[in-house]
Amino acid sequence: MRSIRLFLYGIPITLILLLVAAFVNASFLSVAKKNEMSIGTIGEPSTLNPIQQADSASAQVAGLMFNGLLKYNQDLEVVGDLATTWDLSQETTFQFGLEEEAAKALTFLNGNQPSNSASITTTAHNGKNLTLTLSQPGLTDSENIAHILSEAGFHPLSFPPLEKGGKERSFKAEPIIHFILRKDVRWHDGAPFTSADVAFTYHAIMDERVASPRSSDFELVSSLQTPDPYSVVVRYKKPFSPALLSWMQSILPAHLLEKVEPAKWSEIYNRHPIGTGPFKFGNWKTNEFIRLIKNPDYFRGSPWLDSVVFRVLPDPLTLQLAFQTKQVDFWAVDPWAVKSFEKDKRFDLFSSAGNMYNYIGWNLRRPMFQDLRVRKALAEAINIPQMIKYIIYGHGVQSNGIFTPKMWFYDPRVQPLPYDPKAAASLLDEAGWKPGPDGMRVKEGKRLSFTLLANNGNEVRRDIATLVQDDLKKIGVEVKVEIYEWSVLLKRFVNKGEFDAIVLGWGLGNDFDQYAIWHSSQTHPEELNFVGYNNPDVDHLLTDLRQEYSRPEIIRLAAKLQQTIYEDQPYTFLFVPEGTSVMWKNSYRIRRPGSKPGEWIDSPVTMTKAGWDYDMEWFYRPEYIPKIRATQIIK
Amino acid sequence: MISFIIRRLALSVVLLFIISIISFFIVTLTPGSPYPWGELNPKISAEVKANFRKKFHLDRPLHEQYALIMRDLFTGNLRSIKDDRPVMSRILERLPATVALNLTSIVISLSFGTLLGVTAARYSGHWQDALGSFIAFLFIALPGFWITYMMVVALVKGFGVPILGTHSYGIEFPNSLGSGLDTLWHLLLPATILALGGIASQSRYLRATMIESLREDYIRTARSKGLAEEVILYKHALRNSIRPIIAGIGMVLPALIGGAVVIETIFAYPGMGRLGYEAVLERDYPTLVALNFVVAALVLLGNLISDLLSAAVDPRVRLE
Amino acid sequence: MRRFRSNPVAIASVVVILIFAFTAGGTFLLSITGHQWPCNPNLTNLEQKLLPPCPQHWLGTDNLGRDVLSRMLHGASISLTVGLIAVAVSLGIGMVVGAVAGYFGGIIDQILMRAVDALLCFPTFFLILTVVALLGPSLLNIVIVIGLVSWTGTARLVRSEFLTLRETEYVKGARVLGQNAWHIITRHILPNAAAPILVTAVLGIPDAILSEAGLSFLGFGVQPPQATWGNIIADGKTYLLDAWWLNLFPGLAILIASLSFYLAGDALREAAESRS
Repeated sequence: MRSIRLFLYGIPITLILLLVAAFVNASFLSVAKKNEMSIGTIGEPSTLNPIQQADSASAQVAGLMFNGLLKYNQDLEVVGDLATTWDLSQETTFQFGLEEEAAKALTFLNGNQPSNSASITTTAHNGKNLTLTLSQPGLTDSENIAHILSEAGFHPLSFPPLEKGGKERSFKAEPIIHFILRKDVRWHDGAPFTSADVAFTYHAIMDERVASPRSSDFELVSSLQTPDPYSVVVRYKKPFSPALLSWMQSILPAHLLEKVEPAKWSEIYNRHPIGTGPFKFGNWKTNEFIRLIKNPDYFRGSPWLDSVVFRVLPDPLTLQLAFQTKQVDFWAVDPWAVKSFEKDKRFDLFSSAGNMYNYIGWNLRRPMFQDLRVRKALAEAINIPQMIKYIIYGHGVQSNGIFTPKMWFYDPRVQPLPYDPKAAASLLDEAGWKPGPDGMRVKEGKRLSFTLLANNGNEVRRDIATLVQDDLKKIGVEVKVEIYEWSVLLKRFVNKGEFDAIVLGWGLGNDFDQYAIWHSSQTHPEELNFVGYNNPDVDHLLTDLRQEYSRPEIIRLAAKLQQTIYEDQPYTFLFVPEGTSVMWKNSYRIRRPGSKPGEWIDSPVTMTKAGWDYDMEWFYRPEYIPKIRATQIIK
Repeated sequence: MISFIIRRLALSVVLLFIISIISFFIVTLTPGSPYPWGELNPKISAEVKANFRKKFHLDRPLHEQYALIMRDLFTGNLRSIKDDRPVMSRILERLPATVALNLTSIVISLSFGTLLGVTAARYSGHWQDALGSFIAFLFIALPGFWITYMMVVALVKGFGVPILGTHSYGIEFPNSLGSGLDTLWHLLLPATILALGGIASQSRYLRATMIESLREDYIRTARSKGLAEEVILYKHALRNSIRPIIAGIGMVLPALIGGAVVIETIFAYPGMGRLGYEAVLERDYPTLVALNFVVAALVLLGNLISDLLSAAVDPRVRLE
Repeated sequence: MRRFRSNPVAIASVVVILIFAFTAGGTFLLSITGHQWPCNPNLTNLEQKLLPPCPQHWLGTDNLGRDVLSRMLHGASISLTVGLIAVAVSLGIGMVVGAVAGYFGGIIDQILMRAVDALLCFPTFFLILTVVALLGPSLLNIVIVIGLVSWTGTARLVRSEFLTLRETEYVKGARVLGQNAWHIITRHILPNAAAPILVTAVLGIPDAILSEAGLSFLGFGVQPPQATWGNIIADGKTYLLDAWWLNLFPGLAILIASLSFYLAGDALREAAESRS
């Protein structure tokens, strides 16, 4: 009986003692930090194979383990990564009915060099074809040459159009990119990196069995040759300027994967990949963390950190808590908390305009949204400046269209619509929507009432929906708000194009190619022009942009695109939020290689055009000073 | 006895399949379908999506999908839609942490619950009893997420203690005692919150059965014989009240791998609850079917064990 | 009854329940006539977002500037409605199933009880998600779902009551007299089982309230702009470390309401048991 009492009281008391001891231990933990960076991520990466991943969490982790042929530098300019140099050229081919005509055309052109921006570097003729190599890709120069030829009396045969609805051309234009690769790169397992890896990566991406989300980027590649282990020649079917950017794609090791069936990759590779990057794979504890360890043989030099760990913290509040208890080193601050962090001297903040904009998509198949006046009225009745002030605490700007301020082709001259509820009301009157007995507008017996959808889990969008509901009520428009889970929203409404209005956002890279979102051919189920926008002028601008290589031309076309779409108001463009990240003061500094060999620049972590986390591989902790001395120190 | 077990097992297997069929249909008929690509992504072409669907049999009619999933489940080939890994490995790797958490929680509930229940029964009718009841109901009425948040705020803002995951990060521990205590801390915290409801129900239940036992005739006889109150309490009343608890041990089996979604999310604890929750949100049908199957199997098994144990312990119970 | 009355805790909890009921009912009636007190719970006022408790806003404001006190009063009416209707649904189903199983026994009983076991194997979260996704996230649907997943306890209880009561003298006599099952069930058995059923009902209300709060918390509850206690906590979760009042007050309300129902129900049960 004694023993019963012992257990009865003893066990609870022991448990309490254990709890107290554990608590004391936890609160006085020695902060002898390891030489390791902790990054918190909300989503867990699904795969670390860069050609099969489509979510940002996977991309973030893989980014430290792989390299592409090209990359962005601090100022968002394209520079070489695994490639040292690259060369863009184009082969334009004219086809004639008779061989002699081709020969004559050749002689003619050799004698009369057309004044183009691109010079003709070689000319050749084989059979009935006349092939010219131009120093720059694009259509304008080739069209110029075709024009000169026809004026001189030559009649090249027509080639079928490059895309449906396009026009026939009298030549074939095939851009060529020639990459020269670095010779000093090794894979994490020691094997040398060669052009065979690039060829393998391309073929893998296009292999159906791999199901790569990147395949659309490389669809226009007609061939990829590797004349020697350190050069790659890629030929395209037609001018496609986004192609260069697609070579920032991470490269996979051929020697490990080429003999293995893609179905087996998830077992033997995807969860513990081998790359060329500054960090190697360490270990992955599912749903907890992924640890990467430094690659001492990295071709740019060994990173200073021993390891980087990505902690999976699925809840935004949890992320914040982890940051506050120094369990992760950085936190993407929510707008409402920015002020208190700004005031707090213990933190360093980094803010920059984002590449994402929020919008309300109006389903243009619905009769009530087909009148431009109605769409304009709705946009003017929504108090966007107030949204910016109170939902994101002033950390953002009103959006004036499909591009965001950081993009080099952004047009700041497009004027955003003002907040003018009176003008909105009169526009609606003009469109025939007059206030009914209960204050809500009516036209031909139908009320101006619709359902606005948003996805749950996103505070900002939910707040937007509530505010929109209020704002529109004031001018007599009834809005019902419905919030659904993301996958339901997609399957039931967006993918079928069956909704009235929806609050969403686009997060886009530095890419002017928005064909998939705005072209009238992309309105089928599951395609991205789910509002059903159709403007033939815009369709032409979109295809022209894809074929344009000249920077000034791109800027001009992009500005026109931005202006036209903004005027049409298929969305109400809301705002571009600013992103802010925070770090405990001085918990990291950077020591990065300078432009000359042997140069090392030491500086604090700062904001650059490419983000505050640019060159994260060169971060170091002040408790673990890098062994290589700095040649220049910036305080 | 043997025939009873055999009959029950047969019945359970049938039931298991019925349950798995029903739950499969509920899950697949829910609007929404798997979309493992995050936000709307212009880079994903229709072919990629079609390939994906073919790979996971999503283009077949429902009953074929069910058959295929069941076949894969039993041949060990079932792969998760989310990351294409075998479903059973995903479940098994969460098992240790989940079992640890639940076991600790059960130990806490049983020990504190018993103490509370016995004390309440002993002082039945007096202020200790009322206090005990009040505390028990307080624990049941506490919204789990609320109390967790309040505690979390206090701990983080007040003490800056790490509370997330299964152990603290980036810290060099001076010795294994330190790291052991650290792991214990991360385990005890969520386990305690999970145990609150259990403490309450355990104490109420024990109190009720003990009070009933104490009213029995043989207790009165013992008292009149002059036995000390304490002896009566512990030796007789408690012993008798333990029987239903032992019978309830069978139900521990499913409880061991059940998950508390909210607690696990807040503490970033890698448990089964989060696995199930995320699988639901992602419409990861293979994982859901497998998880359901395992849980249902354990529930039925636990039921069987409970019935057997209660028959063993209490001669009044007859197995039909 | 006397036992009940002499229990101070029981009295206190009943008082609290009545306070809630009146507040909820009062708010509801007021809102029908178009008045709001202290102010409109859906009125957003962005200049006053996230204010701590102050003279103008006794319980502070939320992230859209809405007055927390008003939202909580409306939340009270919703929570109590949820509690009552969900319990009604679960009671209805549970009583029918339990009565049939308990009265007729045999095969019917076995089948029904196995069905109950089977239902227990389902993760409730699933069912809730399914119904909400299928039918749309409205208050009515949520209430029905909560009722649908919680009837098993009532069924078990009713069944065991029926099993015992079926063997009593007057029931046996009634059967001999040839009265039909329906008559026997409703006239003889049910009134005697009433007490435990009532206790289950009262104890079921806080469960429903807590379920609704949990649902809202996970994001599957009532839609904006309607306020429920769980809603306010869920919305305020992101601001937890700075706007503690968005978590404290609704949680406290849920706690006190649930606690009162539990204590009252428990006291009822003691009173009922002491009679038999």
